[in-house]
Amino acid sequence: MSAESGRLEDLPVDAVHLGAALFVLAVLLLYSPLFVQPPGGTFTVLEVVVLFLLYAMILVGLNLQFGHAGLVNFGPVAFFAVGGYTAAMVTAENPFGAVGLGLAWPVGIVAAVLAAAALGVVLGVSTLRLRDDFLAIVTLAVAEIIYDLIIAFRDYTGGSLGLNNVPRPIAGTTSAGDGAVLVSTIIVFGALAVLFYGVFRRLSASPYGRVLRAIRADEQVTETLGKRVFRYKLAVFVYGAAVAGLAGALLVFYNGAASAGFFTINVTVIVWIGMLIGGAGNDRGVIGGLAIIMGFQLFTRFLNDQIPFVTQDQFASLRLVLVGLLLMVIIKYRPEGIWGNADELGVDS
Amino acid sequence: MEIPLAQEVIFGLVIGSYIALGAIGFTLVYGLVNMINFAHGEFITIGAFVGYLAVAEVGLPLPVAVFVALGGTAVVGWGIARITFEPMNDAGAVPLLLMSIGLGLVLRNGIRVIAGPDRRSIRTDVATYRFDDLGFFVTSQQLFIIGLTLASVLVLHLFLSRTMLGVAMRATADNEDLALVSGVDTRRVRNAVWLAASGLAGVAGVMLGTAQAASPTVGFGQLLLIITAAILGGAGSPYGAVAGSYLLGIGITVSVVFLPESLTSLNSTMAFVVLIVVLLLRPGGLVNREVRTS
Repeated sequence: MSAESGRLEDLPVDAVHLGAALFVLAVLLLYSPLFVQPPGGTFTVLEVVVLFLLYAMILVGLNLQFGHAGLVNFGPVAFFAVGGYTAAMVTAENPFGAVGLGLAWPVGIVAAVLAAAALGVVLGVSTLRLRDDFLAIVTLAVAEIIYDLIIAFRDYTGGSLGLNNVPRPIAGTTSAGDGAVLVSTIIVFGALAVLFYGVFRRLSASPYGRVLRAIRADEQVTETLGKRVFRYKLAVFVYGAAVAGLAGALLVFYNGAASAGFFTINVTVIVWIGMLIGGAGNDRGVIGGLAIIMGFQLFTRFLNDQIPFVTQDQFASLRLVLVGLLLMVIIKYRPEGIWGNADELGVDS
Repeated sequence: MEIPLAQEVIFGLVIGSYIALGAIGFTLVYGLVNMINFAHGEFITIGAFVGYLAVAEVGLPLPVAVFVALGGTAVVGWGIARITFEPMNDAGAVPLLLMSIGLGLVLRNGIRVIAGPDRRSIRTDVATYRFDDLGFFVTSQQLFIIGLTLASVLVLHLFLSRTMLGVAMRATADNEDLALVSGVDTRRVRNAVWLAASGLAGVAGVMLGTAQAASPTVGFGQLLLIITAAILGGAGSPYGAVAGSYLLGIGITVSVVFLPESLTSLNSTMAFVVLIVVLLLRPGGLVNREVRTS
């Protein structure tokens, strides 16, 4: 740890306080007549920032699971999707050809978190005893199953058309246009992301986190020391699931619709690559990694217009080739990521 | 008299055939290199394109194209594995798995950049044999696919049981360290595994190219089915993988009969459900391999 980050840690305010304070401020701003109007050309960037904050919430859970406890969860998008669709189905009012109960949005949030956590419990109890690589396959398969179910049960979920007429609580507090809504959304989501980052950081810095890292290093030794390894794993799995479910609900309430396109395997890929770039297990590093990969995507989106002779489809593929290469280079030459600790992760660099 | 479900079973055998060739390679790699290769579907895609080029551009007959795809994909797959996986052979299961995900992204999208997203069907003359009394029909193409798979399995069996390299392969799969101290050149074995696995994937690719079409995602679309079949048969066991593939293929086509029409798109979803159920109830698969930690 450098002197600077050491000073940062000595401050009496940590991310939990900061997140809570930001959240209060954000709510005050929402209910005040004040608003912030961003300049016109920044909407694309701001949209990506909204997604970044939601993915960051998924990532703090995933980092606790993989970075600290060593659980290879390849299906975080499953919980994201379950949260999103639960929230949408509970709150939508007369969606076209889908289920919509039309309840208030706080009910939707609670239902989303509970549904995602319930999936986490069921999946965790049944699969967490599997070996690393098989856990990866099962979680990946579950994510695919949930995506397929969303498409197949179109009478309930709207299928590939999606589910609309979902309330937009943040948009409802202002009439100043899309730009102001974007800024308010970013402030609220940012506050929540900082809050959850702080909570999970406290968890991983506590003795509890030490047990998790011990599980990652050697399960049997940890069990011998009297720690109930399975319970720890399950708890971590469910925490991550619940936060991802909340993030899904937030996405739906921001969009005013649930659409399967937001819940594809790409979410898993981006979040995982962000974590690996930053260095799994380093709470701050993984967020940095996510910023790098999403910044890269944003930057290359603008780049497409500058390069002649390349169709949009080819360009999208090229971008994914680069993402894949980046993943391969990281795994091969710097398996601990940019800010990770090679000893703790048990990898040779 | 009509034989109930005969048609579905034939379709199932066809699906099972190309899953089987993919699953054998996948499970060999799993057993010997100790990695789950998420890029295995891309080897199939390469085979499909090699087959397409051989038939449509060069004008070779299909049986020759099969051998071209077998050889071409074997060499390409082996070369890719030498560059990517071989140097980090000791890194452990999860880093290798992540590496293969990266490689899959690169290959899948690289092929898409070059070939475009179009589907290219390998055209062949198809004769249909009807057995209306018995209630089914079968095409020459289907017979070709099933026969080719059975022949490949037979060759593989002879290789594993009758050649020194095959025996060394089984010994290495069983216990790599013991094989090493017994004088088995495990590096040579791994080379052979990569050649065999990608070669079989190439053949599966040609089959998919004729039955469906060669497209950048044709192999990736089969990947979860292949993994399911391999685990169903007991990860690491090639014979189990063949059995698992046919069980899965027939299961998919027969279940269509019993599912309501609106849910027929779910039959591959059912395969994933099968995968999870197998891992929970009998994680070792048909031949009972151990996949749990403790």
